[in-house]
Amino acid sequence: MGSSGEKVVAVIMVGGPTKGTRFRPLSLNVAKPLFPLAGQPMVHHPISACKRIPNLAQIYLVGFYEEREFALYVSSISNELKVPVRYLREEKPHGSAGGLYNFRDRIMEDSPSHIFLLNCDVCCSFPLQEMLEAHRRYGGMGTILVIKVSAESASQFGELVADPDTKELLHYTEKPETFVSDLINCGVYVFTPDIFTAIQGVSSQRKDRANLRRVSSFEALQSATRSLPTDFVRLDQDILSPLAGKKQLYTYETMDFWEQIKTPGMSLKCSALYLAQFRYTSPHLLASGDGSKSATIIGDVFIHPSAKVHPTAKIGPNVSISANARIGPGARLISCIILDDVEVMENAVVIHAIVGWKSSIGRWSRVQAAGDFNAKLGITILGEAVSVEDEVVVVNSIVLPNKTLNVSVQEEIIL
Amino acid sequence: MKALILVGGFGTRLRPLTLSVPKPLVEFANKPMILHQIEALKEIGVTEVVLAINYQPEVMLNFLKEFEAKLGIKITCSQETEPLGTAGPLALARDKLIDDSGEPFFVLNSDVISEYPLKEMIQFHKTHGGEASIMVTKVDEPSKYGVVVMEEATGEVERFVEKPKIFVGNKINAGIYLLNPSVLDRIELRPTSIEKEVFPKIAADKQLYAMVLPGFWMDIGQPRDYITGLRLYLDSLRKKSSSRLATGPHVVGNVLVDETAKIGEGCLIGPDVAIGPGCVVESGVRLSRCTVMRGVRIKKHACISSSIIGWHSTVGQWARVENMTILGEDVHVCDEIYSNGGVVLPHKEIKSSILKPEIVM
Repeated sequence: MGSSGEKVVAVIMVGGPTKGTRFRPLSLNVAKPLFPLAGQPMVHHPISACKRIPNLAQIYLVGFYEEREFALYVSSISNELKVPVRYLREEKPHGSAGGLYNFRDRIMEDSPSHIFLLNCDVCCSFPLQEMLEAHRRYGGMGTILVIKVSAESASQFGELVADPDTKELLHYTEKPETFVSDLINCGVYVFTPDIFTAIQGVSSQRKDRANLRRVSSFEALQSATRSLPTDFVRLDQDILSPLAGKKQLYTYETMDFWEQIKTPGMSLKCSALYLAQFRYTSPHLLASGDGSKSATIIGDVFIHPSAKVHPTAKIGPNVSISANARIGPGARLISCIILDDVEVMENAVVIHAIVGWKSSIGRWSRVQAAGDFNAKLGITILGEAVSVEDEVVVVNSIVLPNKTLNVSVQEEIIL
Repeated sequence: MKALILVGGFGTRLRPLTLSVPKPLVEFANKPMILHQIEALKEIGVTEVVLAINYQPEVMLNFLKEFEAKLGIKITCSQETEPLGTAGPLALARDKLIDDSGEPFFVLNSDVISEYPLKEMIQFHKTHGGEASIMVTKVDEPSKYGVVVMEEATGEVERFVEKPKIFVGNKINAGIYLLNPSVLDRIELRPTSIEKEVFPKIAADKQLYAMVLPGFWMDIGQPRDYITGLRLYLDSLRKKSSSRLATGPHVVGNVLVDETAKIGEGCLIGPDVAIGPGCVVESGVRLSRCTVMRGVRIKKHACISSSIIGWHSTVGQWARVENMTILGEDVHVCDEIYSNGGVVLPHKEIKSSILKPEIVM
């Protein structure tokens, strides 16, 4: 077994502003990793999970956002959790593995024995301690968190084949066209520092091939990777696929929930998953009430301490209410995220929606959607400072910031 | 002489363009919208322009420094901390607008494009001697707007009717006013509407006069009107200084091309096209009734009509882009793609055709 003095470092990849436009319109106002799920910024969930690892020395957030976008958050979370959290900005894209390699000096500062690599936009129970124990047992270079999904949805992800006894990674392929396996890559990994050697190996190999190709121009036309710079190394295609079946990589299967948070719709679904998890891990974070002294609460609900909810309102299930929001008399909220400073007025109804910062929902108005987390207009999204006037109905729509709705709309995107 | 330009807010109707740049800085006929107005004001001797804004003041202020120097006119900002409507900003800028001269000051709405006959308006104002003058323009569908009912001979305004259900007149408020300093005494520093609260009172005192705007008028605050407005503007340019328009075998109708733009062989450009600085239009391209913003590349054999192509975007080979397609900044339409009314937010790649009008986020 590993010695208890060994240090662990965690690296969380947070992406960047132009990397994904799928999180619009919310990403027009906030960096996706800072969007709240179950009352906490998205990146907070993997960070809290990392905190539970014994001997955690450092957490690095790596991304393309400007430093100032994360400065406040990083300093406050470091204080709150009493573990150093730092944001490292990638100047140019190096690929998912190249990014890790780019900061190897910082990561290896504390001479960690193990390095966790997590994607920020993954929603799961992050069984990191169990993964680390399993990894130590396997004795390989890396262990990948995997989960079984339905055969139809598997092709959206990296599919892998693992030995059922040794759990070794035998085969890995990214978004295949034909069915390979229903076991997929969750985007959470633990490595020993050998990973850096492996990544460097890919870079040098590519450099050699590039040099060779200069001799043969015919080959230059053929090569699929001719356009990739030598320091651009992708974890999936360049490390996991080639090293599968070589007794270097292993898998750890999670039986809990797992989702990717690529769209606002999924953020509402994942907020609900984390709220449900709170019921087991931190029930004190959830609200309760029966309508007598405080509002009626159904199911899992988070209400920020500074928010004001009228006792005649009925909230839940699956509702998250952020700081300084005001929920008026007789309001009904179901399956929604209410962001900071929102005002929901008397008798308004909000179902399957995300209501943006500083927005206002008028009296007897209704903001709702069918609740299909995967459809383009499956949940209604109101951007920052949107005003829905009294008695207006908004169904299955997306409204960009600073708009006022004085007539009802259905199935529309309002710029 | 002084002037106030009501710049206002978020320019949401001109999204996705205004997601990248505040509305007054969006170019119209290759010149920032607000510059058209500032130049017209400078021409008749206005020495100071106040911009009433409530959004992105830093971006505006940077732009203004550049133009203050170039134009030799003082430009300041008056920033609303809460939306003050169409009259409130005047009260907010009171100290900047009044000086000891007692001269009237202009108020312009930043979305309006016209020939700006401001000298004639000053003359009209002196002649009638009233407290306030407004420009009105004749429209086909007055009920979409606020109608100004006036006495034809003198121009004295009787009343304003907002979106009238029956015909009361066909002249609407063109958003260009010339006001005596005493008008400021009628405006409180709170959200106020100039059409609904201030002008009706001045009209009741028989102190408000309306002048019919000669020449074209357009509110270019939304894409459809922006495109129509370009046609009207270029028509007017043809009459006034046709040397600025492009000529050549590849040009049809009125076309404005920035001198740094390049146009390839075998193209047919026009009518009613504006091509901005640094654009590259490759060979065999057809452009009609469209605006191509700075830094755009239109690849070979593409065909674009009735659309606006945002800064630094590209349109692929053989692509067909039409019917009110609006591309935001840095949008790349792949080769052979068809866009029928696609409205595309910035930083997107269009890899599959948009068959009917749709917003692409």
